[in-house]
Amino acid sequence: VSTDAGVEDRLRALTPQVLGALVRRHGQFDACEDAVQEALIAAAEQWPAEGVPDNPRAWLLTVAGRRLTDAWRSDSARRAREDSALAAEPADARVAPGADVGLEALDADGPGDEDDTLTLLLHCCHPELSAPSQIALTLRAVGGLTTAEIAGAFLVPEATMAQRISRAKARIRATGTVFTMRQGAEREERLRTVLHVLYLVFNEGYTASSGAELARGELTAEAIRLTRAVRRLLPDDGEVEGLLALMLLTDARRAARTAADGSLVPLAEQDRGRWNAGEIAEGIALVTDALARAPLGPYQLQAAIGAVHAEAVEAGATDWPQIVALYRVLERIAPNPMVTLNHAVAVAMVDGPQAGLALLATLDGALAESHRLVAVRAHLLELAGDTSAARDAYHEAARQTTSLPEQRHLEGRAAKLV
Amino acid sequence: MKYMILIYDNAQTRERFFSEEGAELMAEVEAIMKEITESGELIGGEALADPSNTKTIRLAGGVPAITDGPYAEAKEHLGGYLMVECETPERAAEIALRWPSSRFSPLEVRPLMSPDGAEM
Repeated sequence: VSTDAGVEDRLRALTPQVLGALVRRHGQFDACEDAVQEALIAAAEQWPAEGVPDNPRAWLLTVAGRRLTDAWRSDSARRAREDSALAAEPADARVAPGADVGLEALDADGPGDEDDTLTLLLHCCHPELSAPSQIALTLRAVGGLTTAEIAGAFLVPEATMAQRISRAKARIRATGTVFTMRQGAEREERLRTVLHVLYLVFNEGYTASSGAELARGELTAEAIRLTRAVRRLLPDDGEVEGLLALMLLTDARRAARTAADGSLVPLAEQDRGRWNAGEIAEGIALVTDALARAPLGPYQLQAAIGAVHAEAVEAGATDWPQIVALYRVLERIAPNPMVTLNHAVAVAMVDGPQAGLALLATLDGALAESHRLVAVRAHLLELAGDTSAARDAYHEAARQTTSLPEQRHLEGRAAKLV
Repeated sequence: MKYMILIYDNAQTRERFFSEEGAELMAEVEAIMKEITESGELIGGEALADPSNTKTIRLAGGVPAITDGPYAEAKEHLGGYLMVECETPERAAEIALRWPSSRFSPLEVRPLMSPDGAEM
């Protein structure tokens, strides 16, 4: 698609406003979402060549409204052909009024644009959908990405991604869910799902190797953009603020996390001069504010751990006792084997490798097949001076991982122990 | 996670597919293909020509040698593959089990290596 970055940014920002307005007017989230996607594609083709219209939002609303009308007309024409009993009735009698009628009035009324962004996010993160479907639908309906862009980011054919999106919408339709702002406990629960989806989108982009970064790396920027939008809408939510801080503090390390040859650089060996100082400053300010907000949640605590790493001018200056204390709280409020794994590394830095290995031993079973567990064990065995066992564990972790850069990293560690 | 499902054939597999029961077997193939297409799990797949069409390339004592046919007569050979993306390895195995040739010859479900990775 030949579109400059300015046009693309504007289209993405306008997507939830236009879609929200259409759905409030007509219902039928799935048909409206298709219509908006077509309008975005038309705009991406026309605006760079013909210039951005004076009122881009009204332009998109009009074009999407026309697409919606066209879709309804061809639908009712098809139904008329299929239904011979209705053949005598003039087709016009059953045609819906044009969706592009009265859009100016629509533009002025109803709740504000920003309310729609949150309503849309909660709608796309419907609990009946799998996480990959929630992610794909969120990126298209709220993020304004095209199906081709999402498919490229997730390394699947466009047809495959198109199927996932239309199936996700069909599933929501089948549940009879109305497009409206959720309330109370349901809203709270959905919001946690939204944050998890944004976290997963970020991770997809962050773990992208340099080779695949063009298509995938953009996902981190998109996750940060959407999380910023949620924060503007819910400025008092400590977990939203914590998630944004966590993303910024993690993204700050991006340039330092891969070497020139594409291999992974562990945190302790990264050139901290290459960390993004602006993102770190913003992340630390956010997490400082977020930690003052109760109740504390897992994103606030993970961001706090990220901030402790970010504040160390060199790896040796890391305040490990503080990190251990934060992991203890995290394990209490959100216990999970990956947290224990990271906790064990921190404990090893404070109390020595044997203490870390003892904590790891509690995980056997819970994470029996995870290459991460074996890789951490290898690292702690290496610190403990058990070279032969460490080498075996690195090889074992390298066999288990399905990540090429991680396999290369683990085999490299094993080779150094000869 | 993405998986390659390797579909092995034996000498009788294709014969069965082209015999009287073939229509039923093909209907099963179409049903599972339709299901994984609509679910967005199918990424791709191909059938391979008979192994007699194979060229085997090998460097023998520093000299490249290209010979007709596979290295040795095998009881089973790779007949084709599917590429799928599934939420769990169990689901990928379920798709393989539904492939009708699983009743005559084995299939393998193998996770793909990913170009992505986080610093460890």
